Amino acid sequence: MGSEAGPRAAAPREVAVDAPEIRVEGLGKAFGRRDVLRDVSFTVPRGGFLTLFGPNGAGKTTTLRLVATLLRPSSGSIAIAGHELRDDPQPARRAIGFISHNPLLYRDLTAQENLRFYADMYGVADPARRIADLLERVELSHRRYDLARTFSKGMLQRLAIARALLHRPRVLLLDEPHSGLDPHAVDILDGLLGEIRAEHTFVMTTHNLGKGLELADQVMILDAGRVVFRQTGRPAAADFAAVYREHVRAGAVD
Amino acid sequence: MAFRQFRALLRKDIVSELRTREMIASMFLFVVLAMIIFHYAFTVHAGSSSSSSGDLSLFAGGMLWVVFVFGALLGLNRSFVHEKDEGCLDGLLLCPVDRVIIFLAKMTANLIFLGLIQVLAVPVFVVIFASGRVATHLPAFLALIVLADLGIAALGTLLATISMNTRARDLLLPILFLPLAIPLLIAAASGTSTVFSGAAGGGSLLARLAFLLVYDGVFLVLAYGTYDFAIGE
Repeated sequence: MGSEAGPRAAAPREVAVDAPEIRVEGLGKAFGRRDVLRDVSFTVPRGGFLTLFGPNGAGKTTTLRLVATLLRPSSGSIAIAGHELRDDPQPARRAIGFISHNPLLYRDLTAQENLRFYADMYGVADPARRIADLLERVELSHRRYDLARTFSKGMLQRLAIARALLHRPRVLLLDEPHSGLDPHAVDILDGLLGEIRAEHTFVMTTHNLGKGLELADQVMILDAGRVVFRQTGRPAAADFAAVYREHVRAGAVD
Repeated sequence: MAFRQFRALLRKDIVSELRTREMIASMFLFVVLAMIIFHYAFTVHAGSSSSSSGDLSLFAGGMLWVVFVFGALLGLNRSFVHEKDEGCLDGLLLCPVDRVIIFLAKMTANLIFLGLIQVLAVPVFVVIFASGRVATHLPAFLALIVLADLGIAALGTLLATISMNTRARDLLLPILFLPLAIPLLIAAASGTSTVFSGAAGGGSLLARLAFLLVYDGVFLVLAYGTYDFAIGE
């Protein structure tokens, strides 16, 4: 039945208590003969915030999709909240919330129906109350019965945040979450991220140095599928811009 | 938990479809139009309409299932349209759900939509092709429909999933589906013709039903074993 474990799988495996929240070791990914990621390793402790920088095609989104279990690694291993993805993906999926520039919402369902669908998929207890709380938090209570297709991009992104937080994930993966948002929507998104910063472990990809450094306590630069720079602690924006230019291959900077 | 997920997936597909009615409307229109076209194509001979529409019962089974199989293809091609076009497939794959549950829910939704079309279209078919004749083996005919629909839904859902991730998915699905559906089409068509001709073919009808049961089992087991890979990367 493949590598995915489900209700038919064996009993849950033991989880290392003091393991980092995210551990990536020697991660590689090839599409056909083309290597898009080579030997990427990093760890993020519980409550940490790692920002991945890099030019287009550097492998940032691929890394995030591998961590999110949306792609299968060609080599290496990933563990989320102590669960090896290769052996035990379902508990890891329960621990992950994913926010990308695509809201992953059904346009022909209302805001409430979308959240109810995901609540059922994640087995959220008392879904009605949880949905009401989250809609309040993202300031969409007044639009709960409106179809998602009538929402603006900013509203969809706020609803996507509610979707991602619905099952109280330990890890939040953010794939260029500011992409395509107007300044007001960016402010709302940043406000929400600031509010929930202490509650989760984050990995974010972005092209925006300012946004990427704002909340990070660890940064990494990828280029051509390899890690070319890594630093624990938040660097100063001006210093980091110089580091970025130095490490990213000529002509690849956006 | 698995039943809650199954129910959520099924409800989502049904609510989305009832809200847009894109799939049901196009399937129903296709099926009725195809029946009307078949009616004229087979009854008009050199400018004169055949008076013996009863003769059509010989071809009735074949015509019915050709129409249903092609009508089902329209629906199957759209069964992942929300996941693919709205990017919701990632949302689905992120969920801690056994991939077989996704298959079962999608297959059930396809089965319901196909069944709904048949509830509307079979009376039209009986009027056009069977001259209002009441089927002599009605329970057997219903069993034939259920088993053939299950096969179409199981095979079609699996292949729609495989073709979803390809650029030419609208073309690929019929190319993959139709050759594999030929055995089902033969069994369902010959069984239906037996039913509508009123012939005493109870034994052959049972053989057709048994064949369809085995066919359904093969593709359900195949989907169970391969769906992880089919819906993944």
